[in-house]
Amino acid sequence: MIGAMRGLRIVACGIALATTAELTVGLLHVLEVIPSRERDWIPLAIYPFLALALLAPAVIGLLIALQLPCNRIAWILLLGSFVPSVQLSAEQLFGAGWSLQSERATIPLLFAWPVAVAFVFPNGRLLSRRWRWVAGAAVVSFGLTVAMKIFDPVAIEPPNQGIRNPVLGNHLGEVIENNGLWIPFAIGVLASLLAGVLAVALRFRRSAGIERLQMLWLVWAAMLTPLAIGYDVLAGFLLGGGGAISFMLLVAAEVALVAAIGIAVVRYRLYAIDRLVNRTLVYVTLSLLLVGAYAAVTLALGVVVASGSDWVVALATLVVAVAFRPLRSRVQDLVDRRFSRARYEGVRRVRDFEEEVREGRREPEAIVPVLAEALRDPLATLLFWLPASATYADESGALVAALPNDGRAQFEIEREGARTAVLVHDAGLLEKPDLLRNVLTAAGLSIEIARLRVEVRFQLAEVEASRARIVEAGYEERRRLERDLHDGAQQRLVSLGVQIRRLQRTLADEARILSPALDQIVGEVGAAIGDLRQIAAGVRPSRLDDGLAAALRDLANSSPLPVDVDARSGRVAASIEAAAYYVVCEALTNAVKHASASKAAVSAVRENGALLLTVSDDGIGGAVARRGAGLAGLKDRVAAHGGTLEIVSPSGEGTRINVAIPCDS
Amino acid sequence: MLLREGLAGLLEDAGHTVVARVGDAESLLAVVSEHEPDLAIVDVRMPPTYEDEGMRAAVEIRRLHPATAVLVLSQHVESRNAVALVGSGGGFGYLLKDRVLDVDDFLDAAERVCNGGSALDPEVVKQLLLPPQEDDALAELTPREREVLGLMAEGKTNAGIARQLWVTEKTVETHVSSILAKLGLLLDGDTHRRVFAVVTYLGGSARP
Repeated sequence: MIGAMRGLRIVACGIALATTAELTVGLLHVLEVIPSRERDWIPLAIYPFLALALLAPAVIGLLIALQLPCNRIAWILLLGSFVPSVQLSAEQLFGAGWSLQSERATIPLLFAWPVAVAFVFPNGRLLSRRWRWVAGAAVVSFGLTVAMKIFDPVAIEPPNQGIRNPVLGNHLGEVIENNGLWIPFAIGVLASLLAGVLAVALRFRRSAGIERLQMLWLVWAAMLTPLAIGYDVLAGFLLGGGGAISFMLLVAAEVALVAAIGIAVVRYRLYAIDRLVNRTLVYVTLSLLLVGAYAAVTLALGVVVASGSDWVVALATLVVAVAFRPLRSRVQDLVDRRFSRARYEGVRRVRDFEEEVREGRREPEAIVPVLAEALRDPLATLLFWLPASATYADESGALVAALPNDGRAQFEIEREGARTAVLVHDAGLLEKPDLLRNVLTAAGLSIEIARLRVEVRFQLAEVEASRARIVEAGYEERRRLERDLHDGAQQRLVSLGVQIRRLQRTLADEARILSPALDQIVGEVGAAIGDLRQIAAGVRPSRLDDGLAAALRDLANSSPLPVDVDARSGRVAASIEAAAYYVVCEALTNAVKHASASKAAVSAVRENGALLLTVSDDGIGGAVARRGAGLAGLKDRVAAHGGTLEIVSPSGEGTRINVAIPCDS
Repeated sequence: MLLREGLAGLLEDAGHTVVARVGDAESLLAVVSEHEPDLAIVDVRMPPTYEDEGMRAAVEIRRLHPATAVLVLSQHVESRNAVALVGSGGGFGYLLKDRVLDVDDFLDAAERVCNGGSALDPEVVKQLLLPPQEDDALAELTPREREVLGLMAEGKTNAGIARQLWVTEKTVETHVSSILAKLGLLLDGDTHRRVFAVVTYLGGSARP
């Protein structure tokens, strides 16, 4: 299959080359390098236009065939330019008589390719099965008209009347001519032209989407031809002939038509031809500039140094080598600005954004709206890939369970072979792959930075959430343990004591001697209960059952220091209350043990969704949160709830601990 | 369960009648309204949540059945609840569970509560009395007076206090009037009302 494609491409190149060869022969004729016996040959001024008219379909046909070797329109264009061009070398091959005779006969073929294109544009197929009859009739009409005209027995018209018609007065030709046998087929040719117009009109009316756009291109270009013909007719009336201008306009219309066909057919791969044009322009301009620079340097230095010196060559080469890179980007810029506006501006937009990020004026995550703007797709969104959790997240870090499935296209962005993000964009952008690729390449670094930031934020949130869960679970476990101690072991001990007491009371008189021992046992049981209560209180202060404010007051009451308590926090989550309680506990212990304070104050208020806790004393100050020490432990405890702990303890001015713990509601 | 049976036995040994033993707050309220007993002994923690069902049931019983006194047993000290309960009027008691082991004291407290008096656990009283703040009127009391105040708060009568401190009832009376004067409480000799006033005073001072 691939081999066949290659073969087709080679054949296409061959046809295009053959057309070029024919045009070269024609040029040699015009330049009178090859002598011609025909008079009224094409004048030198007209020849370039004729060459353009023949070359344009060949070039566009070749460009299409190279990309889509099976596209029928490519072959119609290639053959459409090659067949009429054969005429140019006919004199060399068959003599002047046959040349003039075939020229007369093949005039209809000039219209053959536009009709063929009109029948099958844009998908290479006829409109319907019924149109096969129309197409067949057209082929027969064109073929027979040309074939019959080859036998035209009439002498050649002036100014070539001196050249003999090689089939002058032949019998078959006489029969055809005398009976007008060619006339129906000539009418058939005209009918085919009308059918072509009808086919395009029908197709245009039925078309939608991409086909509609393709048809628009064709119809727009086809309109130029009647305009040119209209000018010719008008000029004929007013000026007695349109002359060279009419001819030029007709050629321009034809070239425009061919170009439009080319654009319409390779629309999907527009970027390829687009890039080809772009690169050609860039490198032709660049080459000219560099050659100019080389020449200028050589000339300028030639005046100073003896010309032909190795120095001159070396210096000129150096200039060219140094100028190449900056010049190339300049020219590329210029060409992009002229010919690929959207892409140029899109890339510019992204570069400006990167500059803003570098200067710290914008966050890297803002690349998402910038991309939407650069791609001119306001709904375009970027979803960042988080490899650790194998999910996508948007720029705010919110996880996206599944990629949107709303008919929009998705473009996977990779960096060094690893997926970084997916761009969800309008399917229309697929038709501008160059824009998409260039903008995304320019934005690559920003996207990666944004992705990393989203990932770090997401993971941090995960870690914080899990830490909070662990702390919460710890408190829950303590609470359960405390309850088990009270309701299990303690209950059992009490009931054991009660049983002993009952036993003691029912002792017979002679056993009364045991009573003091039983008293002692009950005493021990009581002590065990007391111990157990102490342990349970350490596990979780049951004071917190009545809320933080009450617990803080109890705490203050049991402190050897006078403690001023201002607790107006209301109820917050149990785990947060516990954290706050331990903070105050530790802070008051420090105030007594290390700070030699004479009094302390505790305040707990709720403000802006946070529990604000302050413990201050009038001690010696100088407290720091050393690793492993009580204060550092408090810091961790508070951080586990997403809060902050700040120690203000200037030497000699007392200590103040400020804690803020977020508590919702 | 075990404790409940033991406690019932203890009470029956002492000549009281136990009319019902139940395991949760709902059945408790049901049997109380059925039997209207002199006293209901209630554990703070009961099913289903083991939080403070007993406490709420106690308040409910006193509200619906004024003739029934309530003695709440707790596994640990919750001074605020205790003060709120005992300070709200007579017929309430609040004791730690292990007070049961001092059978005589326990029965005494139960009887006091039945007679419209109060019983507040010494541990609770200890928390109420600590620490003496500088600007507090409590600081003006002598240690002995503070001791007497604590026993007053527990709900003890002058005779009970005298027995415990090994002094005469007369000495106790002297201490009491001195204490009341120092704290600025104007009261007659009624023990029950005295307890509410003292407890309320102490509870109030613990909650500025």
